[in-house]
Amino acid sequence: MANHNTAAFEEKPMWAGGRSPFNVSYGKLMMWIFLLSDAFTFSSLLVGYGAIRFSFSTADVKWPDPAAIFNHFPFMHGYFLPLLFVSVMTFILIFSSVTMVLAVEAGHRNSKKEVSKYMFYTILGGLAFLGCQAWEWSQFIGDGGRLDSNFFGITEQGYKHLSTVGFGDHFHWNEGDRTWGPVPFASLFFIVTGFHGFHVFSGVVINVIIWINTIRGTYEKRGHYEMVEKTGLYWHFVDLVWVFVFTFYYLI
Amino acid sequence: MGNFHHTPGEYDPITYVPHTESHGTKELWRTFWILLGITILDFILYFTMPPGLFRNVVFIFFGVVKAYYIVGAFMHMKNEKVNLAMCILVPTVFIIGLVAGLLYEGNALSTY
Repeated sequence: MANHNTAAFEEKPMWAGGRSPFNVSYGKLMMWIFLLSDAFTFSSLLVGYGAIRFSFSTADVKWPDPAAIFNHFPFMHGYFLPLLFVSVMTFILIFSSVTMVLAVEAGHRNSKKEVSKYMFYTILGGLAFLGCQAWEWSQFIGDGGRLDSNFFGITEQGYKHLSTVGFGDHFHWNEGDRTWGPVPFASLFFIVTGFHGFHVFSGVVINVIIWINTIRGTYEKRGHYEMVEKTGLYWHFVDLVWVFVFTFYYLI
Repeated sequence: MGNFHHTPGEYDPITYVPHTESHGTKELWRTFWILLGITILDFILYFTMPPGLFRNVVFIFFGVVKAYYIVGAFMHMKNEKVNLAMCILVPTVFIIGLVAGLLYEGNALSTY
């Protein structure tokens, strides 16, 4: 259908009409513009996080060090393992990005079987990431993080205690290590990772719809797998946002 | 298709889809290994470098490098027309403006 004679359109002068000046479909261009607006939303959240964090640099109770809080790993309870679990989450999301782009590549070859296989792997990756995030949240809430309060105001005694534990050592908070800390730390953690997690959830739902359509042969009948490319753009964007959430929440 | 009269074989802005070809999977896997390598490097530097401004700049630089590979290779921005790429990438300078503005005005926040 739409795939016939496209080469003839692409040879016409760029802005003279009767062709797409950027050689791009309507839907894909709209997806790019949506992602640009979403990039503004996320950067506002992250830049706002940075500004509020900076504003606490002269406060009495310091902004907590992320390594002091996110140091749990499943089945390794009581060990001090900062950054390890979130690195695993990053790996899961990067890997699901690869399976997504492999689905797009298979779509370029009109291989229905491979597209549905890689879409399935991508959905599994997305669900695994969401499960990890749920676990991360439950640990944080269990340790005293709430939307409206934050029990991670680490005292001088707490920092002294932290400086004695190395990677992989046993670690438990002592009495007097912590007090009530900056509230925006916990609320912004829930807002930003929650907003990103909701994007992942939407991405999984959209991927499932595209996967079902692929299996039912909708795109085979249509003659092209461009819908896979569009959902792929969204999925890679979610991965891109996670790169910056990872940088600003866990590394810095 | 579309809501207007349209003869088959004519350009239709609603249904037009450019012909795409597979570029193979080699570059995609290479990108995956680069992204994984940078993430592992992040992990190592977190424990080996002293915390401070320099380490933060390194981490943000690595984030931008990862963004370049995700957008360029995974989202196929490298294969799009330069005009389209610029339409999407140039407006992100507003984010730099936001960062600059909050760095400049950020001191006012410390009063609360």
